[in-house]
Amino acid sequence: MRSHWLRIAAACGAIALGLTACGSDATSGNSGGGTTISIWEGYTQTEAKAFAHLISVYNKAHPGQTVNSLFVNNDNSLQKVLTAVRGGSPPDIAYLYGSWAPNVAQIPQVVNLTHVVSQPGVNWNDFWVGERDVATVNGKIIGVPALVDNLAVVYNKTLFAQAGLKPPTPNWTWSEFVADAKRLTNPAKKQFGTAYVTPGTEDSVWHWEPLLWQAGGSILTPDNKKAAFDSPAGLQALNTLRDMAVSHSMYFDPTDSAYTNVFNSGKIGMLVTGPWDLSVFPNVHYGVQIMPSYPGTSGGHQTISGPDNWVIFNNGAARTAAAEKFLLWLTAPAQVKYFSLATGDLPIRRSVETAPGFLAQMNKSLPGVDTFITNLGNVRQARPQTPTYPKVSQILGNMVVSVLLGKSQPQAALNSAAQQVNQALASSNG
Amino acid sequence: MPAARRRPSASEQLTGWAFVTPGAAIIILFGAVPIVWSAVMSLQRNNLLTGKTPYVGLRNYRALVHDPVVAQAVQHTLVYTALFVPGTMAIGLFLAVAMNRKIRFISLYRTAAYATMAISAISEAVVFIWLFDPSYGIVNYFLSLLGIPPQQFLNSPSQALYVIVAMTVWGWTGFAVVIYLAALQGVPQELLDAAAVDGAGRWTAFRRVTLPLLSPASLFLAVWLTINALQLFDEVYLSTQGGPLNATTVLVYYLYEQAFQNFNFGYASAIAYFLFLIILVVTAIQFRVGRRFTYYRS
Repeated sequence: MRSHWLRIAAACGAIALGLTACGSDATSGNSGGGTTISIWEGYTQTEAKAFAHLISVYNKAHPGQTVNSLFVNNDNSLQKVLTAVRGGSPPDIAYLYGSWAPNVAQIPQVVNLTHVVSQPGVNWNDFWVGERDVATVNGKIIGVPALVDNLAVVYNKTLFAQAGLKPPTPNWTWSEFVADAKRLTNPAKKQFGTAYVTPGTEDSVWHWEPLLWQAGGSILTPDNKKAAFDSPAGLQALNTLRDMAVSHSMYFDPTDSAYTNVFNSGKIGMLVTGPWDLSVFPNVHYGVQIMPSYPGTSGGHQTISGPDNWVIFNNGAARTAAAEKFLLWLTAPAQVKYFSLATGDLPIRRSVETAPGFLAQMNKSLPGVDTFITNLGNVRQARPQTPTYPKVSQILGNMVVSVLLGKSQPQAALNSAAQQVNQALASSNG
Repeated sequence: MPAARRRPSASEQLTGWAFVTPGAAIIILFGAVPIVWSAVMSLQRNNLLTGKTPYVGLRNYRALVHDPVVAQAVQHTLVYTALFVPGTMAIGLFLAVAMNRKIRFISLYRTAAYATMAISAISEAVVFIWLFDPSYGIVNYFLSLLGIPPQQFLNSPSQALYVIVAMTVWGWTGFAVVIYLAALQGVPQELLDAAAVDGAGRWTAFRRVTLPLLSPASLFLAVWLTINALQLFDEVYLSTQGGPLNATTVLVYYLYEQAFQNFNFGYASAIAYFLFLIILVVTAIQFRVGRRFTYYRS
């Protein structure tokens, strides 16, 4: 509360400044024949070091071209980019969350990269399908993948052994997950089978969406005009979560921050989470397994991915060309491999995964990450690429949480959420 | 003969303006322009993305009236304010009176009371998240000693807001303590002595002498804390993100959600002006009512 005066004032100021300031910087990139481009990224620590190294390598190898990187916290980058766009001096390249893509695509200065990534040698299909889907809005490619992750199950091997359970196999099902969760729960020891984040934000939603897909359902209709999750598949997915809530085998984390500590303290049996959490579990002897499935459906063990994009903004033909050239270099297999090995981030290209020795090398620094890497092959689809998705997500978040907290029955929650989503989609289309 | 007031010369006037201009320009640019601009935006459909900003008249304001989440947010904001402001003032007054004496280590106690103000909201939130954790928190442990079953706290739509109240009261009490301590220094001993001579007990003296003399400080705290309470954001953002089930969605948090998650900058601006109106009305009432009960010594 104390600092928000300042924050809101700064945000308003930035917005106003962005809207009123006139562009003065738009042509400053060309000096003496060389081209200077700026890239906004939010890397810290090892990622920052590895990224700075790549940039210095590029700058050395390309005299006459200079890439300047500027740190911008990822959470705030779109606000800052918008301000800069209105001020007439956007960055040439910015790291932007994939969830923003449908909205980012509406910015007139965003460069359409469709022709760029179809050039020979780029091998666009080498990027995972989940990444390509998120970089594509209405058939137009607006970004190059910058980061990829996915959800899998991280489990505590010690707790499994204590409960007399066999570790999960790649063929496991949700009924096995639910049964294991129950067995791993021990109220006397304050031990839970699994955990779920319940603030009702997108983090509460994207843990449910793969269940919906595995059960054979979809979030919206293919044209993104109507809700499609109020289906038998949606009900099955919600019931799975509810079963674990009812049997008290789920630790609810309303803050989205406590669950990692609880897992690291050996109090949670299984977590559905991403590779970014692995490094904060030093105290647990953990294993990683892909997500369970619902037998008898075509959904399989598919998972969900939250890729982010590099987006180019138009600052004139010379700088756009320089930015495209740099991005293609940055996301070429050699650089992707270097960055993954240096940081533990999943490789954004498929061909890097299959490079000999790569998985073993990755696993040495971050045990279990190999399962997350191969799990990228289980990403079959992206969340709906519609500008209304944030609103849809808020509705779904309340739906999931209301069922988990026992405030509504799954079918009633589905109906009510579908009605709200249809309303939101209708009002945004019309 | 009294010297006639000399008009400053033109060059002096110019120098004066030269000194004032940079500051004034910054205030206008970062203060006045955004205020005016958000008024303009509140009449537009504006996502800041496309550059297309059609005027929609009062549509954002009309939508606001019919938005059930706005109604919820107003209710949460008012309930929060009604608990936070008196709570902070009462505890602050109690601690200030307790510490307004010469005992050993008093400066240590006073520093400790104010330390909560120096702690950042994020640390405060993290600490309270763990204190009130339903499974591992110390609060439920103490409740269990009293035979009370464990509570869900931040997981419960009916309790989460009260946890936020507790969190922020704790954070702001130090501020109230400092204000009240300063005001207590201004209560003259001879008045208290005179009251004692007239036969007033300690409680009567406190109620009849000390409390009225503290009234300007109380009015200041009431207004200041209310304005802050109506703009609650940080603690909600850091702990519950408005959940569970919108139970802690207050107006500023909803505004943030509309602007920076849903890209409805026009609608968010309308909510901001609506909030401004609420603050204006509440503050005006406080000053009106407060003046009647405030005693200023001349």
